[in-house]
Amino acid sequence: MAKTRMALELGMGTSLRAGDYTRAAVRAVEDALWRNSISFAEAFGFDKSDMLIDIHLGLQKPDLVDTDMVKAVLPYGNCSVTVGEGGLDIAKLDGSGVTILANAAITVSFDMERVAPPRTTDMPAGKQVGAAE
Amino acid sequence: MKRLILEMGTGVDLYGGDYTKAACRAVRDAIGHSSLSLFRSCGLSHQDMQVKVTIAVQEPEKVDADIVAEQLPRGNPSVAVVRGGLNVDDPAAGEATVIAAAAVEAFLQVDEGAWKISGKSDD
Repeated sequence: MAKTRMALELGMGTSLRAGDYTRAAVRAVEDALWRNSISFAEAFGFDKSDMLIDIHLGLQKPDLVDTDMVKAVLPYGNCSVTVGEGGLDIAKLDGSGVTILANAAITVSFDMERVAPPRTTDMPAGKQVGAAE
Repeated sequence: MKRLILEMGTGVDLYGGDYTKAACRAVRDAIGHSSLSLFRSCGLSHQDMQVKVTIAVQEPEKVDADIVAEQLPRGNPSVAVVRGGLNVDDPAAGEATVIAAAAVEAFLQVDEGAWKISGKSDD
């Protein structure tokens, strides 16, 4: 079944005054991660280190994001970070720069497969799709 | 039943003092920033999911739990309301801003050993 997406977590982060794209990105990732507590590894009997975490970031200046700093936010799991052009920069009224908004989308996956067949308790007997005649 | 996720959120009714409205917004905030993709990707049914909602406000008896439950699109939700949250008094306005906290927990029966990490041995 290969890489299987279990959850999507969304967040937003800002750098109001410093003009720091990495800081906005880190805050967006923290916002996405710390809103929820996921326990897929416990529920499915996996190790937390089996978790595959893909971080997708959108900022107006993707080249200015230090992805190592973003990766350092994660407590565990194998992680990839991609940064694309997105987010939002809002010009400051005094012309001194921009207020930065970063968008983050994080997918949590496992490279997993089913061992036992799915239970079919929901379907009445004889009405199962593909059931033997 | 195994817990899959705990989602947290806050909601506020700024001027109306409506605890139910704040609670509904807290639930929307809790569930609206994540998606449990595993039902689709693992071929599982939302019908088997159970959802437990806990709302915390300063005056729990003023929350209509049935209206809060309607915020959950699926998962046979149960709603408990406890004392908590936060009220911010504004003496000039004469009414409090009410803040509700919400915890939404999703549970699912996952059979022991039904899944494994690909390429790992069973023992």
